[in-house]
Amino acid sequence: MENNIALKANHIIKHFYQPEPFKVLKDLSFEVKTGEFLTLTGKSGSGKSTLLYVLSTMDTDYEGELSINGNKLTGQTRNQLAAFRNEHIGFVFQFHYLLLEFNVLDNIMLPALKLNKKSREEIEAKAYANLKLLGMEEQALKMASKLSGGQQQRVAIARALINDPSIIMGDEPTGNLDSKNTQIVFDIFKELAHERGQTIIAVTHDDDFAKNSDRIIEMSDGIIL
Amino acid sequence: MRLSTNYKIAYVHLTSSVKQTIVALMGVVFGISMYIFLNSFVSGTNDTQTTLAFTSLAHIRIYNDGPADHTNLLKLAYGNQIAGNIRNPKVIQYTQGIKNTGAIIDLVRKQPEVTGITPQVNINVFFRNSGNKINGNLSGVDVNNENKLFNISSYMVQGKWNDLQYRPDGLIIGTDLAHTLSLHVDDNINVLTSDGVSKNYKIIGTFQTNVKSVDKTKAYLNITAARQLLSENQDYVTDLQVNIQNYQKTAPVEARIAPVIPYKVESWQESNQQLQAASSLRNIISIAVSLTILTVAGFGIYNIMNMTINEKIKEIAILKAMGFSSGDITSIFLTQAIVIGILGGLIGMITGFIIAQIINHIPFKMAGMNHLPMSYNLSDYLLAFIFGLITTLIAGYLPALKASKIDPVDIIRG
Ligand SMILES: Nc1ncnc2c1ncn2[C@@H]1O[C@H](COP(=O)(O)OP(=O)(O)OP(=O)(O)O)[C@@H](O)[C@H]1O
Ligand SMILES: [Mg+2]
Repeated sequence: MENNIALKANHIIKHFYQPEPFKVLKDLSFEVKTGEFLTLTGKSGSGKSTLLYVLSTMDTDYEGELSINGNKLTGQTRNQLAAFRNEHIGFVFQFHYLLLEFNVLDNIMLPALKLNKKSREEIEAKAYANLKLLGMEEQALKMASKLSGGQQQRVAIARALINDPSIIMGDEPTGNLDSKNTQIVFDIFKELAHERGQTIIAVTHDDDFAKNSDRIIEMSDGIIL
Repeated sequence: MRLSTNYKIAYVHLTSSVKQTIVALMGVVFGISMYIFLNSFVSGTNDTQTTLAFTSLAHIRIYNDGPADHTNLLKLAYGNQIAGNIRNPKVIQYTQGIKNTGAIIDLVRKQPEVTGITPQVNINVFFRNSGNKINGNLSGVDVNNENKLFNISSYMVQGKWNDLQYRPDGLIIGTDLAHTLSLHVDDNINVLTSDGVSKNYKIIGTFQTNVKSVDKTKAYLNITAARQLLSENQDYVTDLQVNIQNYQKTAPVEARIAPVIPYKVESWQESNQQLQAASSLRNIISIAVSLTILTVAGFGIYNIMNMTINEKIKEIAILKAMGFSSGDITSIFLTQAIVIGILGGLIGMITGFIIAQIINHIPFKMAGMNHLPMSYNLSDYLLAFIFGLITTLIAGYLPALKASKIDPVDIIRG
């Protein structure tokens, strides 16, 4: 089948109940093709992060249906979803969380060690390759806590790529980067999407970044414009 | 490899917050060493008391309990058909002492648990030295066997135990008895039996068991001489004292021999229930106190683990976001608890041993002791280790479970 569907969101509705009942996502339906580089834009508070958490399978408290690569994920147990995330989804958080007690290399390798499909040597080689891609190979053995914000964000991107996930999701993955590094990350994403067929969904406030992607979904107050 | 990743994370957690790890470790070490010390001390005390008690007490005693209930002889002879009454019945004890001792001794010796048996002729007498008079117990003994059972030769202060064998005129008396009668070795002592027989003996030795009631009232005499004193035949015995391998296990031996021996067979537990009760109570107290200490240590571990998990809540959320399952998270934190439990257990056993050694060297001069008593039983150490591990497992499991239930979005959303 040409133009495979990587991700399908069907009538996604999400409420927050605290501090007061509030509908954040208002019946969203869309599809993302395999190998597509998609950007999500919209005003602050429009629900981009909330949507991304639903798509990433971490948030299970929503109505509607989500499937990735043809697997229906809605209704699966948390442990099933964790295993699925581990293998198929790479995630870069808005606040680039790293494990601060580990060094950079360990941070990148952990998801692959957990997946347990390659030998330690292969994983380490791949981790170094990812770091090199992002110009971070010299920091490999530094503790994560000793890095600057931008460096941490690049490590988080290297970590998201370690298991060659079919979908990479980023919540402002270049939010802390200068224009040069933003360009590097953009080029990496583009290459992954177009040459390796990995699907990219990235939230961004950077208009240039969005404009150069394959498709933009703009959100406003919980709906897609 | 999946497991070793979890171990690696657990290792990093333990080593990156060394202070907390050490505090948790110290809790376990304290609990386990106190458990070991208390139990060693109490069993040391119990052992000392037992040794003291068994200087004059055999594990099983066989004796003539006197006639059965003869308060209603008519009923005994005719049953209920006859109405009658005897005023002031005089019960004549036809047999005093134990008859047929040779056969009984042979029978008892055949029991596999029996380590020794000795016949005694025990007589209640007055010990007299001119005006001084003390009511006491004169024990006619089989010199060799008596020593095998009670090891009296080791309590001798003056004279030699074996001399009793060749001296029908000799007595070995308790030091306190000698003291109250102002008597010394080689002095003469007069003995008066309840039948009014009076006889002079020579003191050939003194002993001190440190059991005051014994040292104050007891004297030993050759069994043949005792029979002569009572004008009894050469088979006459009042008591047969029996020792077995494990003094706690008198019941099965008693159950086997009592039905075939026509005399009273009595274990030391029956005749000295207070000893047994005191040992049991001390054991209960020591177990209660040490389990309390372990529980408190457990709460300490629980608190520290809880703190760690609250501190690492972000890390846990990231791990789960990256695909670690609830089981992985539980195993990461449980591993930390187990490491603390095992390490704390090993250090605790060593510390417990050292504390026991130190206390064991504190002088304590009473009842024949020189230092505070202590016994070193492997089982105390193993039990302490097992209890410590169980405590840490429980104390670690609850926080680990809590960690595994953390919802990553809640944390990451901020
Ligand atoms: N945990 C929460 N409980 C209640 N309301 C929330 C919670 N998290 C977010 N919201 C609300 O939901 C709406 C969408 O938030 P969301 O974080 O998705 O916005 P966003 O588009 O990612 O904004 P930004 O660009 O600033 O990151 C906002 O109005 C926010 O206040
Ligand atoms: Mg956001």
